[in-house]
Amino acid sequence: MEELKKNILSNFNDLEIYTRQDNRMFINTKKETVLSLLSYLKNLGYDHLALVSCNDWIDDGEFELIYILSAYMANDEEYQEKEKRNIVIKTRIAREEAKFITVIDIFKNAEPYERELHEMFGIEFEGHPRLTTLFLELEYDIPPFRKDFDTNKYVENKYGQIPTIKERKSNKRNERT
Amino acid sequence: MRELELYFGPQHLGMVGNFSIRLKVEGDRIIKADANPGFLHRGFEKLMERRTWMQNFPLVCRINVVEPDHMELVYSMGVEKLAGIEVPERGEYIRSIFCELARVGSHLFGLWAYANMLGFDTVAQWAMYHRDLILDLFEELTGARVYHIYIRPGGVRRDFPDGFQEKVIKTLHKIGSKVPDYNATFFENSLFKKRAEGIGKLSREEAKSMGAVGHALKATGMKYDIRKIEPYAAYNQVDFDIPTREGGDAYSRLLTIRDEMIESVHMIFKLIDKMPDKGEVYTKTPNPFKWNIPEGDAYVRCESSRGELGLYMVSDGGDKPYRVHFNTPSYNHGLTVLEKALVGESISDVGNIMISLYIVAPEIDR
Repeated sequence: MEELKKNILSNFNDLEIYTRQDNRMFINTKKETVLSLLSYLKNLGYDHLALVSCNDWIDDGEFELIYILSAYMANDEEYQEKEKRNIVIKTRIAREEAKFITVIDIFKNAEPYERELHEMFGIEFEGHPRLTTLFLELEYDIPPFRKDFDTNKYVENKYGQIPTIKERKSNKRNERT
Repeated sequence: MRELELYFGPQHLGMVGNFSIRLKVEGDRIIKADANPGFLHRGFEKLMERRTWMQNFPLVCRINVVEPDHMELVYSMGVEKLAGIEVPERGEYIRSIFCELARVGSHLFGLWAYANMLGFDTVAQWAMYHRDLILDLFEELTGARVYHIYIRPGGVRRDFPDGFQEKVIKTLHKIGSKVPDYNATFFENSLFKKRAEGIGKLSREEAKSMGAVGHALKATGMKYDIRKIEPYAAYNQVDFDIPTREGGDAYSRLLTIRDEMIESVHMIFKLIDKMPDKGEVYTKTPNPFKWNIPEGDAYVRCESSRGELGLYMVSDGGDKPYRVHFNTPSYNHGLTVLEKALVGESISDVGNIMISLYIVAPEIDR
């Protein structure tokens, strides 16, 4: 783990590396270095993109993109230290103009993840071949997984006001009398 | 020949689950496949942001209908990691036994789906009956048959009732005694072999490049299994093997599933033997309505019966999660691997390939 940390730090600057739990390395980086960092780690053997996720930090006005890498087995016989690890790469982009570059050229399986983030958070991935809807059918004013999408308000607008239990009880009482 | 666009599913007879694929066909060969999920999208990850850590359990277990237990496990592991809770030893053993039982049940359900789809109704009925026997065990242990909510942060909800271990052993012996019959009628049946051999073939490099996990990888000879790579629960206490095959086709995938089922049964026997006789099964956690979990994020993973199951979880120090993202094995298999594996195959093999990749629709949509 320490060795990997040294290797990364010698090849890249403006990174922040910390380990919070066993076998997990968290890297905070600028958005310009993400692509080169991903391909560098892929060449080191971390060839499995496990997850692409996004986190909406609404107070900071930023989206945080998260790429989680792990390693497939290098040989069939024994398990190595490398496979135990997960590398979590985090970068922040502006919330107002949410744009990033696709990583499909490096990891093919990023395609559905980026489609989902486009749909749920409204992030534009440049170079993505099909940014069509994945799960949803309707169009929403605010992409539904953003923090300012209020599910309560949405339900009220769409299906009308649902009375609370107290209101329902008093309504029933009124009906009886 | 003329190209046609064909909407395969969700009402198609060959489709299992609420999933659909748009196929471009020429005659009965598939030229292009376009997965079309979303029929079961319930926005669970968003809903979880509005519920407390403990209130999320009824949602978590509904992410995968067939085996909710691994979902509970991975969510509990995430909360434990963030809150820094340790699980007592007996609790870890019970978790392992419970999850292996769930794996056997889930594989039997998968076997039902496969056999049913190919028209082997007898085998399908056996598999369903044997799964039911396992559900009976779950009912006695947890009070529910399908959605158990048994694993919780800190351990499991309650200890085994008296004589439960003996019942588990008896049931598993009963199921195991049927393995020769399963082999003769299904796995080694030449009718089935002809349908499954060489279908949906993936080389190891292809599988790796598309992010495959679980059986899609094990059928190409790689022993990629989180239980071995990063042991959780009590998996480092017992000795077990990861069954693999070399073919990479639907038949090899199904054989790894069968072998894994047998291996799981042996593992349960070993775990029951080794389990400590007495002890706590859970650590006490704070009042669930006033439980604030320290700020931070964590990534945890376990091996569900479909492959690597991950969870990325963020807490902002409050009583509710700030963000939860499940990385389910069917997501990659259904949206990336399936589209590749279907090209060049015949329409009649769509369901065949889909079930052999072990795709469950609710897990994709969440």
